[in-house]
Amino acid sequence: MREPPYPTVLKPYGRALVELAREREEIVCLSGDLTRQCEVDLFQEQLPERFIHTGMAEQNMVSVAGALARRGFLPFVHSFGVFTTRRPYDQIVNSIASARLPVRLVGFMPGLSSPGGPSHQAIDDIALMRAVPHMTVVDVADAVETRAALRALVDVPGPVYLRLKRGEIPVIFDEPHSFALERAQVLSEGGDVALIACGMMLPAALNAAAALRGAGISVGVVNVPVLKPIDAATLLRVATQVRCLVSAENHLVTGGLGSAVAEVLATAGIGRPLRRVGVQDTFAEGAKSAPHLFRKYGLSTADIVAAAWSALGRDGPPPTVGEVVADAGEYAPV
Amino acid sequence: MSRDERELEALRHLADRVRLRAVQMTALHGLGYLGQALSSAELFACLYGGAFSPGRDEFVCSPGHYVIAFYGVAAETGLLDPGALSTYGFDDSLLEAVGTERTPGLDLVFGSLGLGLSGGVGFALARRMRGQEEGRVFVLVSDGEMEEGQVWEAALFAAHERLDRLVVVIDANDSQVDGPVHAITTLEPLADKWRAFGWEAVEVDGHDVGALSEALDPVTTQRPRVVIARTSTRTGLEVLPVDADGHFIKLSDELATAAIAELEARLA
Repeated sequence: MREPPYPTVLKPYGRALVELAREREEIVCLSGDLTRQCEVDLFQEQLPERFIHTGMAEQNMVSVAGALARRGFLPFVHSFGVFTTRRPYDQIVNSIASARLPVRLVGFMPGLSSPGGPSHQAIDDIALMRAVPHMTVVDVADAVETRAALRALVDVPGPVYLRLKRGEIPVIFDEPHSFALERAQVLSEGGDVALIACGMMLPAALNAAAALRGAGISVGVVNVPVLKPIDAATLLRVATQVRCLVSAENHLVTGGLGSAVAEVLATAGIGRPLRRVGVQDTFAEGAKSAPHLFRKYGLSTADIVAAAWSALGRDGPPPTVGEVVADAGEYAPV
Repeated sequence: MSRDERELEALRHLADRVRLRAVQMTALHGLGYLGQALSSAELFACLYGGAFSPGRDEFVCSPGHYVIAFYGVAAETGLLDPGALSTYGFDDSLLEAVGTERTPGLDLVFGSLGLGLSGGVGFALARRMRGQEEGRVFVLVSDGEMEEGQVWEAALFAAHERLDRLVVVIDANDSQVDGPVHAITTLEPLADKWRAFGWEAVEVDGHDVGALSEALDPVTTQRPRVVIARTSTRTGLEVLPVDADGHFIKLSDELATAAIAELEARLA
């Protein structure tokens, strides 16, 4: 695994989808007017006969995708996360999930990564998609995982929601990266606290682990790219080895990773304190940049460190976090 | 294509057989979606008795509570075991009162309104992408359902894509849960709206099997086609009280007996 600041790449998803679609003729690409932003301008250029532009009409787009899947196509539906989940929710349920159709809903610009205000911030997409029967929910952390996840999810028999960062995508993992839809990844083991992260919060969790270790704390880090079905066995194994846990997600703490971890622990009767770092019960306003919002709404490295500190019952101020400076084209967590 | 009187009479007979089946299914529960079957009886008769061919064509029933009429016509045309109709709407029956994924015989049915046209659009698109020349995609849409925005998203898209194998049939029965559609939302001028969206639109008396059949005949235009069938939820059943709620009709034992007698007399 690399150390921050991470190098970034452009359009890892768009490239991987074209590559996959050349091998799999049944793949069709639907776009709802955010073609370049969703990296599928590459698909539009290279495989135009399988590119369907439905305009900004997500309800129709999702129901059309369901019908195409009924006729043997493998539709990938693209927009920002808010528009692939919130807006056509009824259509996802009734045109896709109720028939367990293999439609892949791809939502870009997760959580607070958007400067577009609450209307563009998918802070509830994981919760919404977790609540849909048969839906597989994936939130990847970097470009390597994006490619690996795409290969892994293409043959899932039912619907899948894939949550992707927009723009410059960090490269965190070395290749080959061991990725399986069934498995959470234990990146490091520790006996005091486990940091459980997904998607864009993985770099912050790794950063927080380093800061905590500097203060003599034994920290484990688990990456959970698949929120549903969640790898309960791995989470339980990790939970029994530590005194407390902190979940970190670029999403509301309601219905997402933190909730999923709490369900796993409670069901198994594992009584460990759990702190959930993420968007609390609020909308995020005042956005010029994602880093500002991550700091303002408690999604920074320092927030994870403070949560762990509190869960461990430590006195005094939590260890300070050194800022990672990212040059142009690099990515560092807040 | 002109049809002789014998063919038309057969379609009228089939429509009344659908009505009879619907009365019998509704009578099992004392209430139900009988009005929808009464308004769409000729429409289902003209589709399943002529225009529509399973295997060659596809049929999407967008408003799921219309399955009562489909069950009726399917039982009459050999697509469904007539014995199954006695399970309509009961626990664990495949024949639910509002269509589901498990509903037998239909290519697609939705319970949540406004989704069906998009489904038909997807089917028509799939046919084009596969280079399938034969066959058409029929979508039944109700007029009240057109209050849903998705119908118009799909209408725009279908016209833009020039999906000329797509035929929408609107059961314009002016009935929705809260009362007459026209009292709740002004949909008129309906044909003009569809034309403005880029569709070929025809308007017919939805109880006139000759006019309906002609409207459903294949035509060669570059555009999707909509057949607006003007209907009523009381047609073909004189014994219904004038104030019967078209959306969800209460059918007492006495009324059911009278309705069955009326229809059997006409069918004799």
